[in-house]
Amino acid sequence: MFYNSSQKKCWTFENEDTLEKLRYEANQKYRNKMLASGKPTVNSLFLDAHEEDVLFRHYEKRLLDFCNAFKPVMPKSVVGTAIMYFRRFYLNNSLMEYHPRTIMLTCAYLSCKVDEFNVSSTQFVGNLVQENASGQERALEQILEYELLLIQQLNFHLVVHNPYRPMEGLLIDLKTRYPLLENPESLRKSADDFLTRASLTDIGLLFPPSQIAMTAIMNSASRAGLSMESYLTECLGLKDNKETLSKMYDAMRRIKSLMKRYELPKPDEVNACKVKLERIHAEFCTNTNIIITLMGHLGREF
Amino acid sequence: MDDQGCPRCKTTKYRNPSLKLMVNVCGHTLCESCVDMLFVRGSGNCVQCDTPLRKSNFRVQLFEDPTVDKEVEIRKKVLKIYNKRDFDFSSLREYNDYLEQVEEIVYNLTNNIEVERTKQIMEAYQRENRDVIQKNKAKLTREQEELEELLLLEQQDNEQRRLETLQEEQRQLQAKRKNKQALLDELERSHVPATILLAQHKDRATQLENQIEKQKQVVKTTIFSTGIPMGQTVLLQPVARIAEVLYSYKPIEINTYGPPVPELEQLGRLGYLNHVRAAQPQDMAGGYTSGLACHRAIQDAFSGLFPPLG
Repeated sequence: MFYNSSQKKCWTFENEDTLEKLRYEANQKYRNKMLASGKPTVNSLFLDAHEEDVLFRHYEKRLLDFCNAFKPVMPKSVVGTAIMYFRRFYLNNSLMEYHPRTIMLTCAYLSCKVDEFNVSSTQFVGNLVQENASGQERALEQILEYELLLIQQLNFHLVVHNPYRPMEGLLIDLKTRYPLLENPESLRKSADDFLTRASLTDIGLLFPPSQIAMTAIMNSASRAGLSMESYLTECLGLKDNKETLSKMYDAMRRIKSLMKRYELPKPDEVNACKVKLERIHAEFCTNTNIIITLMGHLGREF
Repeated sequence: MDDQGCPRCKTTKYRNPSLKLMVNVCGHTLCESCVDMLFVRGSGNCVQCDTPLRKSNFRVQLFEDPTVDKEVEIRKKVLKIYNKRDFDFSSLREYNDYLEQVEEIVYNLTNNIEVERTKQIMEAYQRENRDVIQKNKAKLTREQEELEELLLLEQQDNEQRRLETLQEEQRQLQAKRKNKQALLDELERSHVPATILLAQHKDRATQLENQIEKQKQVVKTTIFSTGIPMGQTVLLQPVARIAEVLYSYKPIEINTYGPPVPELEQLGRLGYLNHVRAAQPQDMAGGYTSGLACHRAIQDAFSGLFPPLG
């Protein structure tokens, strides 16, 4: 359960500043490593925090599209887990050190395994439709190479609690105990959308999944013009517990504001950052040969 | 099996575990085939220490370490001479001194320390105590004979018992056969209806069996195999009672940081199950019930819902 999970203990942080600091530190660590390695470098060659963020969002969106286009159909929890792995990995590592394209595929692959969504490796790389068979094989090799690294950087905490099941649970509870709301099913679609958009932000690293689900449902209810205040006070027994109630509203407000701040990065910005990234990888990383050939292959796509 | 090989042909010992090692008086090992080879060539010297050997001096090794074998041989020879017993001495101290003397002699001879002097000591002792040695020898032989007689008696007893049980079985078989035959005869001859005859026959058969059972139980045992006679009360020390604090069960408390979740069994009554997809027969066969999925969803929904206070 969530209350004694590793997600609660190690991967739920206080506020966004902590996360920013972690990412900044990862960036600095990589810079120092490269400067210390003795190769001739210029500081402007490195990506800064904003550029990394742009690229990160871009590749995250690509991961989501890859999972949505996956055949056979990937369950939502697998998608959510993959995105969470991607996010956690780049919390402690820099995009300059490990190319996001490979990590993205490795996250999806690992997430299928962990969530018991049985896909063979050949079937998995078969979903990389832009490539021929040998390209797919090379991609598979890379995935297998990076898999252990990914697991290690996740600190071996592989179980991710997604907000989808809490949402189902809340809907069941609403139907059973809250007759004031006539048709909770109508809330499902917009709550689902809310959760998918939430997975593309840092919300998963800051709040418990049940709170995210609650926010999703409250949001869709208020959008539909229905009021759900009494649910919190009556059914969840918070009538007398003012402090908890106010804290919950606070959390929900924070989640909503985080959601609003997210936006998809602009394509020209993305391309500029990508050029920089490729140069860094070409110069500093040793085993990028495969990546470079792949990138050349798909220069048009990625 | 053997951690050292034959010192001459090294390989043969590992490849052929059935090959035996022989030890000679100087304490070195040679496998059987090497012994034969050594004496075919007519030379009779040990490979490692060059002591002149005779073929008869080789004995089959009983112990893994050849030095142990050597010591056993020497001990046998020494004890043939030094064969005094505990009642030959007036005090325990003297007996112990005597034993220590013997050990020293054996040790010296085994490790080739002062062999000459030791041999002289032995000869001197032999000369002085010749009659005592003879007397003890005689006693020893007598004891051995008695032991052998006992063994023989036991064996004979066992044999007899075996024969007796065999005979018993034979008799029983015969009795049964006679019974059956009598039944068949009666069925042929008599005018009594068959069912009554069969009943009579069964009675007789059970009677026979009871007799056999009783006979078997005649042999009563009076002592346990360890020698303690039956029926003797054995006094044991009472077990000390250790008083400790009694364990009392305290159920664990889990903080789920959320509203309380209804129990799995209550879900149906409370109406939750109406809103969950019902379980198909093929799901129920594996033990799945819709309550399980419902309970899990509710648990996940409520876990961590309330932000921690403070």
